[in-house]
Amino acid sequence: MKLIVFVFSFCLLAQAASSQQIKVTGEVTKPLTLSAADLAAMPRSTAIAKDKQGVAHTFSGVALADIFAQAGVTTGRQLRGENLAKYVLITCADNYQIVFSLAELDSSFTDRVVILADQMEGKPLPQGVGPFRIVVPGEKKPARNCFQVTSIAIKFAKE
Amino acid sequence: MGGMLVKYGVGLLAAMALLVPGNYTLSHPYTLSYPAYYGNRINTTDDNPLTVEGVALGRRLFYEPRLSVSNTISCGSCHQQSRAFTDSLRFSVGFDGTPTRRNAMTLTNLLWVRNFFWDGRAPSLEAQASTPLTDPHEMGQPLERSAVKLKADGGYPGLFAAAFGSDAITGERIVKAIAQFERTLISADAPYDRYLRMEYRFTATEQRGYDLFFGAPGRQIRSAGCGNCHGGPRIVTETYHNNGLDHVPADSGRESVTGMAYDRGRFRVVTLRNIALTAPYMHDGRFADLGQVLDHYSEHILYSPTLSPTLRDTASRPVLLHLTGEEKADLIAFLNTLTDSSFITDPHFADPKINVR
Ligand code: HEC
Ligand code: HEC
Repeated sequence: MKLIVFVFSFCLLAQAASSQQIKVTGEVTKPLTLSAADLAAMPRSTAIAKDKQGVAHTFSGVALADIFAQAGVTTGRQLRGENLAKYVLITCADNYQIVFSLAELDSSFTDRVVILADQMEGKPLPQGVGPFRIVVPGEKKPARNCFQVTSIAIKFAKE
Repeated sequence: MGGMLVKYGVGLLAAMALLVPGNYTLSHPYTLSYPAYYGNRINTTDDNPLTVEGVALGRRLFYEPRLSVSNTISCGSCHQQSRAFTDSLRFSVGFDGTPTRRNAMTLTNLLWVRNFFWDGRAPSLEAQASTPLTDPHEMGQPLERSAVKLKADGGYPGLFAAAFGSDAITGERIVKAIAQFERTLISADAPYDRYLRMEYRFTATEQRGYDLFFGAPGRQIRSAGCGNCHGGPRIVTETYHNNGLDHVPADSGRESVTGMAYDRGRFRVVTLRNIALTAPYMHDGRFADLGQVLDHYSEHILYSPTLSPTLRDTASRPVLLHLTGEEKADLIAFLNTLTDSSFITDPHFADPKINVR
């Protein structure tokens, strides 16, 4: 009986999460539309960030760097010359937007691993925050730890 | 002097670019001017550059009742300059007397808006304008029919030629000209602007209102967190939030655009510039005055699954501000500094048939 209930609620969860997808577009060789299942199947990373009350939580998800590898973004040895003028525009469901420079997210420049999280303390993200959010470990202000991410666009600064 | 020269040079280049092949009419580029603190993230399109002639035509069309099937309603009926381009009604009425589904919005600083309407469903002013024009209850007339009616008026073909290089009157050109006029509706001369330019000192109550408005709740200093959503010099961040009006929203808002359940009851945050002039308030005009708006944020924010995270605590309970009477008066004093009397009396925005300038 317990098992049936478990399977049933898992299906419901999976269904709710699966309706949301994240688009990865722009300066990529392979545009992606990632579902919850796609992210679950990718290499997983963790990151720690504090909430409004200053309490630290462990988040898990996929490093932006791993998403870039799959989409064919200029990372690592390719991240030089004009590619250093690329930035990442993250858009959330409420139309909130933030940017990173590509170099800020690259393991050849920094050890900090920014992730697209789908779990907090091993559970799906809470209502109003999930299914997917950004977690930037060690950032003083939480303003780039944005909620309900809907798209990741890699762009060239054009000026 | 140097500045003048530069401006002139740029103007000349732009004018040359506007030369339409096969026609010999030159229209003059319209220079938008706005304070640097508004930023340059403006919503314009390359295929509809602003010209003096285009803006003038758009202004005529904005006040043209023949664009409605009954010849009685223009954009200016629901968007009245004296009320910062709103109409004081909870729901507006179109040509057939049917009330609109939502409250008429202010047309203040549209140049920076990227998604129009309460639910953000129109990506440009060009796309927006055809909605009221053709809506069966608002103006109720197909664009082609409007074009035919305008052709019959001896004055219009010349105005279209001046604006677009040939006297063809098309639905696309009607919409483009109106959008050009709307982009010029810039409000940047309120007492708050003079404060930002350091030409005006707030009164004590305005200052306390300002501190409450822009502070973040939960910090040492008492604050109302309004600026988290209605922030920046334009008093708006273009985001969608459910600000706790209902347990079960009657209007699904942003959800009707995206189809996502988490967007239920989310609406676009709107600018509070000229807010004292645009009652009643919210997408359904439910609040008659600013006092009722503050009572809402102070005591009545309601929980629903999509309530903005900004307005709830970590246990998901709505954060009620419990503002004192004095704090409410201070906030209203600050909101009143956003009223720009030169915007609502500027003759360039008025009906040209009444005010020829
Ligand atoms: C019958 C009243 C009525 C008429 C006529 C009317 N409008 Fe509106 N307008 C509204 C209402 C109501 C809304 C909000 C509708 C919504 O969000 O669904 C609105 C919204 C707008 C907006 C969106 C502003 C923003 O910040 O997103 C613009 C721009 C606008 N109208 C321009 C026009 C123009 C141009 C015309 C004439 C072609 C016009 N309106 C005619 C009632 C009217
Ligand atoms: C979580 C974001 C958020 C915060 C914080 C917030 N608002 Fe709003 N506000 C909104 C949204 C969204 C709307 C439009 C809601 C609707 O019509 O359904 C709105 C609408 C309004 C309106 C009506 C605008 C109009 O044209 O009808 C006023 C006035 C207003 N807010 C004032 C305030 C004040 C004062 C505060 C601080 C006490 C505040 N808001 C805090 C999101 C917010």
